[in-house]
Amino acid sequence: MADNKMLIKFFVASESIFFIMLILAYVNFKGTVVDGPTAESSLNPYVTGIFSLFLLASSFTIWLAGKSLRAKNHTMMKVWLLVTIVLGAIFIFGQGREWAGLIEQNITISRNVFGTTFFTLTGFHGFHVCVGLIMLSILLGLALFGDFKGPRSDGVEVISIYWHFVDGVWIVVYSVIYVWAFFL
Amino acid sequence: MEKLGGIFNPSSPEMEALSSLTLYTIVTTVGILLLIVAAMIYIIIAYRKNPDDNQEPYQNFGNLNLEIVWTLIPCAIVAVLFLLTCNTMKVVDPPVGDHEPDIIIIGHQWWWEIRYPKSGVITANELHIPAGKYLLARIESVDVIHDFWVPELGRKIDAIPGHPNHMWIVAGEPGLYIGACAEFCGAQHANMHIRVIAETEEEFKEWEKQELVIPPTPRTGLAGNGAKLFQEKACMNCHTIMGTAAAARVGPNLTHLNDRQTIGAGVLTNTPENLNKWLTNPQKYKQGSLMPNMKLSPTEVEAIVAYLEALK
Amino acid sequence: MSRRLPLVPENTEPLPSLKENQGMLAWVSSVDHKQIGLMYLMVTMVFFVVGGLEALLMRIQLSQPEFNFISPEVYNQLFTMHGTTMIFFVVMPFLIGVGVYLVPLMIGARDMAFPRLNALSFWLVVFGGILIYYSFLTQSGAPDMGWFAYSPLSEKPFSLNKGPTYWALGLLATGISSVASGLNNIVTILTMRTPGMTMRRIPLFVWMILVTSFLLIFVIPIIASAFAMMLLDRLLEATFFTPAHGGSAILWQHFFWGFGHPEVYILILPAFGIISEVIPVFSRKPIFGYEFVAGSTVAIGLLSLGVWAHHMFAVGLGDVTNLYFSLASMLIAIPTGVKVLNWVATMWGGKIIFATPMLFATAFIIEFVMGGITGVAIASVPIDWVVTDSYFIVAHFHYVLYGGSMFAIFAGVYYWFPKFTGRMMSETLGKWHFWLTIIGFNMTFFVQHFLGVMGMPRRIYTYQDFPYWGSMNLISTIGAVVLALSVLVFMWNVHVSRKRGKKAGNNPWDAWTLEWAAASPPAVHNFDLVPPVRGRRPLWDLAHPEQPDEPNAKVVD
Repeated sequence: MADNKMLIKFFVASESIFFIMLILAYVNFKGTVVDGPTAESSLNPYVTGIFSLFLLASSFTIWLAGKSLRAKNHTMMKVWLLVTIVLGAIFIFGQGREWAGLIEQNITISRNVFGTTFFTLTGFHGFHVCVGLIMLSILLGLALFGDFKGPRSDGVEVISIYWHFVDGVWIVVYSVIYVWAFFL
Repeated sequence: MEKLGGIFNPSSPEMEALSSLTLYTIVTTVGILLLIVAAMIYIIIAYRKNPDDNQEPYQNFGNLNLEIVWTLIPCAIVAVLFLLTCNTMKVVDPPVGDHEPDIIIIGHQWWWEIRYPKSGVITANELHIPAGKYLLARIESVDVIHDFWVPELGRKIDAIPGHPNHMWIVAGEPGLYIGACAEFCGAQHANMHIRVIAETEEEFKEWEKQELVIPPTPRTGLAGNGAKLFQEKACMNCHTIMGTAAAARVGPNLTHLNDRQTIGAGVLTNTPENLNKWLTNPQKYKQGSLMPNMKLSPTEVEAIVAYLEALK
Repeated sequence: MSRRLPLVPENTEPLPSLKENQGMLAWVSSVDHKQIGLMYLMVTMVFFVVGGLEALLMRIQLSQPEFNFISPEVYNQLFTMHGTTMIFFVVMPFLIGVGVYLVPLMIGARDMAFPRLNALSFWLVVFGGILIYYSFLTQSGAPDMGWFAYSPLSEKPFSLNKGPTYWALGLLATGISSVASGLNNIVTILTMRTPGMTMRRIPLFVWMILVTSFLLIFVIPIIASAFAMMLLDRLLEATFFTPAHGGSAILWQHFFWGFGHPEVYILILPAFGIISEVIPVFSRKPIFGYEFVAGSTVAIGLLSLGVWAHHMFAVGLGDVTNLYFSLASMLIAIPTGVKVLNWVATMWGGKIIFATPMLFATAFIIEFVMGGITGVAIASVPIDWVVTDSYFIVAHFHYVLYGGSMFAIFAGVYYWFPKFTGRMMSETLGKWHFWLTIIGFNMTFFVQHFLGVMGMPRRIYTYQDFPYWGSMNLISTIGAVVLALSVLVFMWNVHVSRKRGKKAGNNPWDAWTLEWAAASPPAVHNFDLVPPVRGRRPLWDLAHPEQPDEPNAKVVD
């Protein structure tokens, strides 16, 4: 049945509204910081940009995993799933590194509106990436035990749609936080 | 028959415009309601099923022309109402321009601080204005959102922390207009009254002069005791009395408490007996009020009342 | 989905442990849409009684000036919980529950598209409700900042109690539940229809549920994000809504009403759906202008997304903003008016049977129009400045939510009770219930219009003895007692009819939609055979083969 894919598409649409609201909150407070850190004063667009590339690449690899599934290439599907997980994990590591650096400089969620909106937005995104990683790991585990011989699997396709969504959100988030602050 | 208040007793040009727009709109819309009710009554009488009648009625699925007509009629009503809305807004809410505010009204949990920046008068819960004169008020808040509302004088306007608002205040005739806080603001939202006292120009000038007088601090007797207690018993942590060390802005300015009509933003009439009751236990009359029960002894209360009464 | 499905769409895999007789275990383990639907209805009934008692306590406190019946702290908790309960735990879950029960039956499906997700939705509502009510047991009591939790009042340091935290968490859980059931309904309606049941033929109730579901999935995330921010403010000292630390007091209002106004339509559209089912059946005529009723719903749904700031005219957003939101809000009157006139036209020329469901549906039209016309009036900015945050508004939205949603809910219960239980509800008790409701409801809320324009603000636990305030409030309180009595009669009716009501048979009202083709109560698998659908009223077509609704319809099989 095609129900599962329809469900995830509407779910992703619903989630988009959630992220749009978080982004609007960030935009609403951008430029209102009177004292304390701002995006310009505390972030590094290049390091985060490089880690972002890993997340973008993972979108590509999960597409390859789906392609392998349709081609009934079970081995390559497992490989691409694993690569996707690794790439996602590297991105999360990058996020964690950035957060740790900020918190070390005493830039926290309670410091000022920049801290509040930045940590909320990247935090909720990171949470979604982690959920995606957990789901991908379950997929990989099941695949290792012999599931998903292809050519079709709602499970793989649904999680793939979700993963592309998480990736797409990051492109917007990176643009709003980093590109806006440093490259415009 | 007692007079109905609020919209039925508009006492400023703004309120007259608001009142007539509101009443006309309500009357028109009630007319629409009555048409529907009439149709329903006719239907109930004419189309009730006869128990012996087993034929199904004519199966009518709709009529495009009718649908178009009854889409266009509400469109027309909406258009008229919108035009009236635009017109009334011009009357009720004249532009502020680059006027400086004559009054600053500041919402506190649960009282109103009132400042006259041009003369320097600071008072609470009672807004004196000269009748017939337009004054520009700036509405602010120091804590949560409040809403300034004097039903007989005009519109509501929110007092929002970090977002000052402006409105023109005018009263047609001298008199007392009682208002309230209209935005829920916590435990004592119900007892956050504002009294607008519209006076003649002379009375207002006189009042303003009186408010600026710095009363001498009594040194002796009961009142002298009270003055000392006021400084010792933490009263001064929250209140101001001009001419003394008490200059805090947490609670109302008490310098000219004598001239005010009520205590606690309207919970008690301002008499020495009531002041005594209030100081003995404000929580009894305004539960949740930020003024704590200071656990004063009856003699201490009497002394402080004497002090506050002596400030003239 | 392809048109080559069997008449009863089958699930590809058997549902977990779903047997006819699971006994008590069915109450927790069931994923059957009918069982879950009924559980929704029962839970909402409990919350309805609780929320009603809260209202009654408030009305007693207000029965006379300066009355000392309950303290201001308790009063503030009561009105917060009353509003929260009635909106999130009565009207919303009731309408969702009725939808969950009826949508699969009405479109000829076996169950919802995602039965387990359906159960999750239900249990999340229960969980959210318990979480919120649990706050009464905490040291400082339930939330007391009003159901719209304006910041910074709902923030530290103005609300140091735990109530608002429980409130936001509980509503977050309920919100997730609503999104889940919205998604479930959308997929069910779009993919599980029986052959022949095209989108132009689904019952109007299903249309309303569909539009409501779209509203749910698009506006609940707005408030979910605001709840998340509020919780971060309260728990981690973030500064979204605290002006003292650079946050904004107004942002919360935009978020809240961005959700809050569409929410009003989430509460009323399924009610419109119920009315659009009841009126044709009891007038013995098809709905007048099906396309216009369905289309106006879509228009209302879309417009409702762009009108939120009419709740904020007193905030001082500027004339241009105010006028835009004023006009947009007034526009909603047009599709709503179209609906009302279509209902009236459906009754016109009919042969009307005034059984209890029809009594409530007829009264609904008048009470709802009453709430609707005051609604148009307050869409005008200057009028709003006069009446906003006064008792006029309390009267207005109770006419919409009680006179509208609750009247429709009662109509729906009397109408579908035979389907739910196999037994009819008592008509005698039903008429008592109806007339007590009419008297109690109008007595309670009509006078509040006058109190409002005379200057009585909302959410005050006491008031001074201004002319006529005492007597009008007393009338309102007496009305509330009558209204409470009417609810008792209703509960009693449900109780006795469930056991001793007249046997209903499959189709006691001689109605036309598919749910009446199933047994009463329906078997676990709903239909043995779904009747052929060649028009909007399959059972009419079956009963009147000589006069089908769509004589030229092609047979789909």
